[in-house]
Amino acid sequence: MPSEPGTQPPPPPPPSPSYPRDTRDRRGPAGAGTPGPPDASAAAPQRDFTEPRRLHPASVVLGIPVAQAVQALIFPFVATLAAPAWLTLFVLLTFAAVGGVVRVLDWRMRTFSFDGEVLRVDHGVLSRNHRSLDVSRIQQVEIHRGAIQRLFGLAAIRVETAGSASEPEVDLRVLPEADAVALRSAVRLSQARLAGRTTAGTPSEDDPSGAAGREVLRVPMRHVVLASVTGARLLVLPAVLGGALQFIGNQIGPFIDEAIERMIELGLAGETPTVVGPDLRLLAIGAALGLVLSVAAAVVVGVLRDGNFHIRQVDEDLHVSRGLLSTRDSVVPLRRLQLVEIKRNWARRVLGYATVRIRSAGGSTGGEGRVTVPLLPTEDVDRLLSELLPNVDGVPDLHAHPPAALRRALFRWLRPAALLIAAVHLLPEVIGFLDTDLVATLQPYTFLLLPINAVLAVIEYRQLAHGATPLVVAARSGALSISTSIAPVVKVQALTSRRSFFQRRLGLTTLLAHVAGPGALLTVLDAGRDDAARLHAQLTEHAASPIPVVPERADGPGGEAGGRSGRHDGSGAGSQPAAAG
Amino acid sequence: MTVQAGDDIPRPGLDDRERELAPAVITSWRLSAALGWILPSVVALVLGFVFGGSWGWLVVVLLAGLVTFSVVFYPPMRYRRWRWQLTELAIELRYGVLVRTQETVPYFRIQQIDIAAGPVDRLLELASLQVTSASASGSAVLPGIAAADAPRVRAELLARAAAAVAEHPGDLRDAV
Repeated sequence: MPSEPGTQPPPPPPPSPSYPRDTRDRRGPAGAGTPGPPDASAAAPQRDFTEPRRLHPASVVLGIPVAQAVQALIFPFVATLAAPAWLTLFVLLTFAAVGGVVRVLDWRMRTFSFDGEVLRVDHGVLSRNHRSLDVSRIQQVEIHRGAIQRLFGLAAIRVETAGSASEPEVDLRVLPEADAVALRSAVRLSQARLAGRTTAGTPSEDDPSGAAGREVLRVPMRHVVLASVTGARLLVLPAVLGGALQFIGNQIGPFIDEAIERMIELGLAGETPTVVGPDLRLLAIGAALGLVLSVAAAVVVGVLRDGNFHIRQVDEDLHVSRGLLSTRDSVVPLRRLQLVEIKRNWARRVLGYATVRIRSAGGSTGGEGRVTVPLLPTEDVDRLLSELLPNVDGVPDLHAHPPAALRRALFRWLRPAALLIAAVHLLPEVIGFLDTDLVATLQPYTFLLLPINAVLAVIEYRQLAHGATPLVVAARSGALSISTSIAPVVKVQALTSRRSFFQRRLGLTTLLAHVAGPGALLTVLDAGRDDAARLHAQLTEHAASPIPVVPERADGPGGEAGGRSGRHDGSGAGSQPAAAG
Repeated sequence: MTVQAGDDIPRPGLDDRERELAPAVITSWRLSAALGWILPSVVALVLGFVFGGSWGWLVVVLLAGLVTFSVVFYPPMRYRRWRWQLTELAIELRYGVLVRTQETVPYFRIQQIDIAAGPVDRLLELASLQVTSASASGSAVLPGIAAADAPRVRAELLARAAAAVAEHPGDLRDAV
């Protein structure tokens, strides 16, 4: 069986980014269905992972789980706060020493291996833990290089499966970088082989420099900067503002003291007291400084995190890399892509930009780790979508929801406002200590919420829409921040339709399409009843029988082949037979 | 995958008609509603009489109304609304008094099936059956079917899931 054409003796350094479209379908014997021999075909060009091996010794230090370390140290630290310093030091040192021994033992007892089909991780000092992970279950592989790790040429590798709930299924920290890359290629190779699309030869080898494959998207630095300025990362603002306020307080304090003293003196002298205020210019400078600092902080954080963001396509995988100091490099197989979310908050909408979030079913990459394109001009969104989703030209045509949905939107927005107004006006009557001047001053202003929320409700209604093609289903919603979710219909796992009492009276239905991954859900809010019923039935059919529908293709149910052929050259139907011949 | 091959599993042959839950589930719901009301009632009564003075009686009346409704009247209403069905492609659930819900989990997407029975359910010879897909939120729960039926339903679901998987070529079998 090792006669497979491409996997003869390991070809030393991978010949430059080979992304040979023409060799795609030169399937060796392994391509014919039976998974190839475990070792021979999967052996990464340089390295062999069949023997269990340990992580890099540096993982004694670099592999410390931060949360665990904090948990372990917080109790002794707090407990000895009252004690003399030498005792605190002693206790902390003891804990550190014990921790060090535990870490060394943990490193010695933690091994991993990969035989081409199963990734095994054994660990545990007292109670042993053996984890085997079938390669076909792997959803996403991420290589993370922290700033310190990069200094020593190390990297961590994270493997996500659909099941992993809160933490990665396998998290190997830390390996020599070359090993991590080789392990990932080995995983990718055998994934490709299992999917029956053995790219004979050297399927574009992973290249740490990031040159392999075809670049799908690169986010220029000015967009990263703009993303940090317009994004939620400005939440650093409160902290900085707090600092600024303290600065201002320090400025005012002496002035007030001084003013009081002077008033007393003047009063004693029998003259009219005059008050000299604090230096307003100083206050203004302080506030401006705070603002500038917070924006600068947001920009620095954003640039370090998302600088050099680019997506490459290597064979059928997306390689998403980002980061300046510490870098992340995630691999998401295109066929594992579950949901694409296009988000536009008001600032970005005004400027004509959007962010795009790509979800695989990988469980743990919450928030931080999820693959998010920081900023993209709105007009480029369709192009990116056509790269992410096979045979999709862009956001499908969306249909607005019936006018009855406006009533629901108004209700949704006005109810909390009305409750707040009622509370502000009625509670002070009942509860004595709320009856203060402050509340009395606020009372009239609360009525402003009504028109504001009504406008937001109208905006939200106008954004409500959904659409479906034979390939994808899409839904849009949101008022201040508008989000459009797009899921391939073949990824829909289950469906829920909900009709509350009011929705029934208005002839509306809310449809939820569940896809794999934590919180991954496509919500069609308040669609017309018949539309929703039709969509429910259509998606059920797709979910029950996930054969990709490819309109242009003539040669039968090509299965995955249909999904992957020619989405870039536009002549998908033609390229496949040509390649095969 | 939970299922290896469709042929090994005997098919109990449940047909496609609409089904109801076991009537005993009403009793089970009544019991759990009654148990669930004990603590809130005590707290509300104490608060009502300590702080409300003569308003305490209003609390008693309100509480009595709520408890009567949720223990006596609501469970039968809920039962009447509950239907489940094994259609050609999927298991479908329709339920809900105020919010009508229709849940669909296609056989092909079934990842796991759990049968569970709490102490009350076991006294009443009931079981609940949960069908889970790969999605975190998309699962279907049959809250009260006869305990004797549960394995039959599960076997039927497994058989249908296996058949659905077997229909697809190798690289499409992976439901995620």
